[in-house]
Amino acid sequence: MLNTLERLQKVFRRVFDNDKLVINPKTSAKDINMWDSISHMELISEVEAEFKIVFSFDQVMEFNNAGDMLTVIELLLPNS
Amino acid sequence: MTFISPLFFLFISLVISINYFLPHRFRYVFILISSILFVGFYNIESLAAVILFSFFNYVLAKYIRNNKWLYLLGIIVNSAAIVMFNYFSTSSNGLIFSFTLINFQIDKFILALGLSFYSLQNIAYITEVYYNRLQPESTICKYFLYNMFFPKFISGPIILPGEFIPQIENNIITNDKLIRGFQLLLLGIFKKMVIADRIAPGVSSVFDYHSNYSGLTVLTASYLFTIQLYFDFSGYTNMALGISEMLGYNLKDNFNFPLRSSSVSEFWRRWHISLISWFTNYIYYPVVFRLRYYKKGAPLVGIFLTFFISMIWHGIGLTFLAWAVCHTVYLGFESLTRKSRAVLSDRFNNPFYKIVCVFIVFNLVCFSNVFFRSDSFETAIHLIKNIFSGFIPDSFLTGLINPIAVGGHQTDEFNIFITILLLSVFLIFERRIYKAALSEKINLKYIVLCVLLIMIFGVFNSGTRFIYMQF
Repeated sequence: MLNTLERLQKVFRRVFDNDKLVINPKTSAKDINMWDSISHMELISEVEAEFKIVFSFDQVMEFNNAGDMLTVIELLLPNS
Repeated sequence: MTFISPLFFLFISLVISINYFLPHRFRYVFILISSILFVGFYNIESLAAVILFSFFNYVLAKYIRNNKWLYLLGIIVNSAAIVMFNYFSTSSNGLIFSFTLINFQIDKFILALGLSFYSLQNIAYITEVYYNRLQPESTICKYFLYNMFFPKFISGPIILPGEFIPQIENNIITNDKLIRGFQLLLLGIFKKMVIADRIAPGVSSVFDYHSNYSGLTVLTASYLFTIQLYFDFSGYTNMALGISEMLGYNLKDNFNFPLRSSSVSEFWRRWHISLISWFTNYIYYPVVFRLRYYKKGAPLVGIFLTFFISMIWHGIGLTFLAWAVCHTVYLGFESLTRKSRAVLSDRFNNPFYKIVCVFIVFNLVCFSNVFFRSDSFETAIHLIKNIFSGFIPDSFLTGLINPIAVGGHQTDEFNIFITILLLSVFLIFERRIYKAALSEKINLKYIVLCVLLIMIFGVFNSGTRFIYMQF
């Protein structure tokens, strides 16, 4: 059973088309070349589909790194 | 009183000195009064416009929280101001009304200087308050200062209220800030007077008399215009940042070496950063977030809408529409080919590949800027067609150098070579020069070199305005 970070990493790898991509809570757009404002929303919709959650616009605007995303995902997951 | 007039230098010397010696609690009132004088000096209509719009948004913000209709009213009023500013600036049929006691011109009021810059700030302010991300400002003078702060009043940088207003309370002027501010101011003067204003006549001669030139001459002029635009606007920004720093305020930089970008999306992350952040936060993200389930379609719609609104902001007309379409196509292409370009980048991970990318991006930007600079769509098309006819001039001296040098005398030719030399040296050592300007210790070598180059090669009598003053 994959934990939240591993599932999030799976989404990152799919969106950024990089099977070797390793993320941690501090990973930000500075660390991933292709993570820009254009790919950001694609990432958001893929994360929502993976975890079956819906982010609010304010939550999305507060994401500065993968850790921020993880915190909100865990907050929105039904079992949390 | 432009940023490079003697009167302005006298003005900032007095304001910076008096502000430095004033007790902290009086400083912001003093800077507000100085800003009112600065704006009023241009024309009384600009002052009336900024006071009226600031007051409107200040009062509106008090009642706007969770009130959709008031928020809509605020957006409509501020957007209408931007549209009218651009409509009247492109229309020759400005309205002029004279009153008996005061000669108040409605067209100048609508064309009020800086209107579209502080209108964007006002939209940001009411949006942040409406969505509960910011408390409405309680002191009207502080809100007026946010809108009228004279270093950023004419052409930005656009700053969000949450980034500026707290600095009024925490305003501290240290020797480091004075030194860095002065060095940045010198850098801005150098960029404007030594590079941008020396290039300007050559660019004008080709763009204004476009039917006389073709091939390499037009291509060179279009390259030079993009360089002129960069040095003019980033020079203004450096001056604005430098003056602000000496007054104890930090503004965000608008440029991050954009001419070194290896993709158009990277270019837009490095060029006019404060405007692009505004468009990204208040147009692009809200639109794309709502459309995100449409996958690839969402960013394309977002890019088009962003550039369409950016076009309205820059000016309503076919030339700006063509400029916006160019960048929508560039960014749309980059969005659709993101993965294949990443593969290419990994395969050819070497400096040569990077240089080729930078060169392609520079050419794409220059191509769109032909529309940006031309006075009509027909002129732009004519210039672009001319690039591909008679590419190599019969005589390099009369066909290429003389039009760019403007004049045809030996001194003019010498001058253009000096300009190209200074420009090349600056671009090669740009990062080091910028680092020297930002140093917190007095860098005497840098200061002496800047002053000498400005005194020897600066254009003192051009009377040219900064290009972005028109937006």
